[in-house]
Amino acid sequence: MEAASGEAGRIALTARRNTGLGVSMTDRTIPEVYVLWHPGCQLGEALASSIYAWLRPGHGLGPDVFFRSLPRPDGGGDPLPLPLPGEERRYTAGIAPQPDPNPKVTPRRNQVVTMQVLVLLIDFNMVADASWRYWLEQLSAPSPHKSGPTRVFLPVALDLTSFNIPSSIGRLNFLRPSGLPLPINPTAAAIATVARSLCKQLTESLCRLLLGHLETRTEPADTSATSGMSAAKISIFLSHAKKDGHKPARRIRDYIYAQTQLAAFFDENDIPFGTAFAHVIQSGVGEAHTAALIVILSAIYATRPWCRRELSVFRQPVLDKTHHAGAPEFWRLNPLLVVDALDSGTHTYGIPEVGNSPHIRWTDEQQDLEEQVVTLVLRDALLRTFHAALGRFIPGKPDGSRIVINWLPDPTTLLMIPRVREATAELEVCYPGKGLSALELEVLDRYFPRVDFKNYEQVLA
Amino acid sequence: MSSSASKYRARSGAQKVIALSISYERENMLRRGMKIEHLRELLLALAGPMARGGANLAYAGHWRESEDNFTYDLLQLISAERDEQHFASTTSSVPVGWLYNHLAWPLYLLVTPQIEAQWINCCRIIRITQALAGIPAATQAPDPITLPGADAVALNSAVVLSAMRKLVTIGMSLEIPGMPDDQYPKVPALSARVLLGGKTRGYSGFLPGLFEEALLALEHQVPLYILGGFGGSAGVLSDALLAPKGQRPPEFTAVWHEHHTPQVKQLGALAQANPQALPPGIRTTQTALDALYERIEAARGSLALQLRTGLSEGETRELMTTIDIRRAVYLCLKGIMPDAVC
Repeated sequence: MEAASGEAGRIALTARRNTGLGVSMTDRTIPEVYVLWHPGCQLGEALASSIYAWLRPGHGLGPDVFFRSLPRPDGGGDPLPLPLPGEERRYTAGIAPQPDPNPKVTPRRNQVVTMQVLVLLIDFNMVADASWRYWLEQLSAPSPHKSGPTRVFLPVALDLTSFNIPSSIGRLNFLRPSGLPLPINPTAAAIATVARSLCKQLTESLCRLLLGHLETRTEPADTSATSGMSAAKISIFLSHAKKDGHKPARRIRDYIYAQTQLAAFFDENDIPFGTAFAHVIQSGVGEAHTAALIVILSAIYATRPWCRRELSVFRQPVLDKTHHAGAPEFWRLNPLLVVDALDSGTHTYGIPEVGNSPHIRWTDEQQDLEEQVVTLVLRDALLRTFHAALGRFIPGKPDGSRIVINWLPDPTTLLMIPRVREATAELEVCYPGKGLSALELEVLDRYFPRVDFKNYEQVLA
Repeated sequence: MSSSASKYRARSGAQKVIALSISYERENMLRRGMKIEHLRELLLALAGPMARGGANLAYAGHWRESEDNFTYDLLQLISAERDEQHFASTTSSVPVGWLYNHLAWPLYLLVTPQIEAQWINCCRIIRITQALAGIPAATQAPDPITLPGADAVALNSAVVLSAMRKLVTIGMSLEIPGMPDDQYPKVPALSARVLLGGKTRGYSGFLPGLFEEALLALEHQVPLYILGGFGGSAGVLSDALLAPKGQRPPEFTAVWHEHHTPQVKQLGALAQANPQALPPGIRTTQTALDALYERIEAARGSLALQLRTGLSEGETRELMTTIDIRRAVYLCLKGIMPDAVC
């Protein structure tokens, strides 16, 4: 656990968690998420859509999310869904799929996926269905093959029978969303409550799963669902002006202590004035370490020099020094979430370092806002890590004129990359997702006329 | 803004009209591990570069606000692109295209002036009336409809649907009362058609919409992009095109359709009893399916050439079978607007 405090009062939170999932990460972990639910599960489809929307927030960002529920197409009497990529399924005579007369080219993304995350929405229908039970047992059995993606299970208990699922999965820690059981005809609001709770717990699980990779990178991959351990580490820094941003900061900190499995540290006085916090940030950001910053943007925040210094240090992109010969220069930036805590009628000044970071409006009246803030910043840390891993698959150009970044570019952060700032020759910057709007790209073009911006999809297609 | 800013906008879409026949059938997609969210991503990934590159999009979606209706997604996309281009003030970019929303009688009766006015700068609603479809005045059903279940309504609705599909394919002038003929706005003929999903049973009209659209595209040499991997009638079309010569799948016979879609039999009987109501060029189920199968048979073995995809034979086959959204989008754009993917 690490922490620091400065002039304005800050929190540094560090989580070290045992995933309990028995997998080891590398810094190139590319997950693909599969949500499984039994066709009889009334709640499954709505929860699956919520998970999709949460992990794929737009711009083509986030890992791929696919579903498995209805039987596969043209499956005859086979009640099971389409196999997962790489799954070797044994079929009953008569329902085996016909050999494909037109073999498909392996999809590009499948070639780089290193982990299948299976979110199992388990209810009595799934537990009681012998075919599904058999399928899940097969999926969770150790694979004889050393190659192929690691398979990880995240079981979700939708009712009390969920724990009667085959023991290879039943002995894992279950996600237990609040708001269950639902009444017979649940309202949309009741379903939304369950979905929000599930997405929160899923985010925490995925963080433990994916953000610990840098500490365990040398461990070999393990395809079993239950063996081994790995530690996860993520630091959340909370930066606020003590004078007027204290209330949201305290609520967020208290929430982390009371409602999450993250370990937290908060002390405004133990750490020497200012520089220590900056040092902690700098070392956290500078090393290959996952971190996220929550800024409580109050009226006075922009005028506090130490707040600005913390923000500036945190928003400095970091050059990845682990890249191998021939790989493009890779820059990483950790996520920032701005909590707009301006009181009604007050004003403040813009802060360029914030760039295009997401903002969330704070209000003291809303009870669960701290939960939203923390879950959102964890989700963004997760996505940023995913994009960093995916970005490392982008090949370099022979003349070295390609740079890869793991965030959506904005002028302020780009100006901190020397080769972009000083570009005197043609340079290509690759950023995650499917692309910015033409207007955003044209604005960037005004700042960086020698730079060509391309998204990962274009480069990897 | 310098003119070089337009390097982020493809130009090859200018003046083109690209028809998107993309419909969501829950079961089709869910059996393949996907839902409407995936389809929406696919549609917007296709339509974004097209609109930005100046192509007009033809999408015959309805205007009810429902989860599986993509009309508003496309409108918002085009609206945003237009706003962006307005503010970017580049001189070298081609204008963002329009959404052409062809609506067959009587569906357009549901569109209110308020809705039309709201989207007037993005969308042209093209009403295909009974008269425009060539139905003689004497056999036209009352407009608005007074007897919803009447035979004339059933038959004329099917006729107008077929006429609409043909007008979308070959282009048309928009007659505006009070405007001289030579000033009528023109809707150009189709430059390409993309097919995905679609019903094979329980559809409206003489045959599945995507079947008729594929037939018209093949007859009028319109490049055709069939994303068959996602099932539906596009999947049936793909399978038929990829099958060996001489094999006629049951879905290309009237008997199969009469069995699975009872309305087809009723329409056939009505058309036979009222031949005067059938304008020239409108084909009944059996005639249209025969013509389609003939085209399919001719295309087998040289799909890239016959479908005019602009892709290699291997890429064309991959497009017809893949369930990878990224590959499907990439291959479509490569064929239709090559400068959008390079």
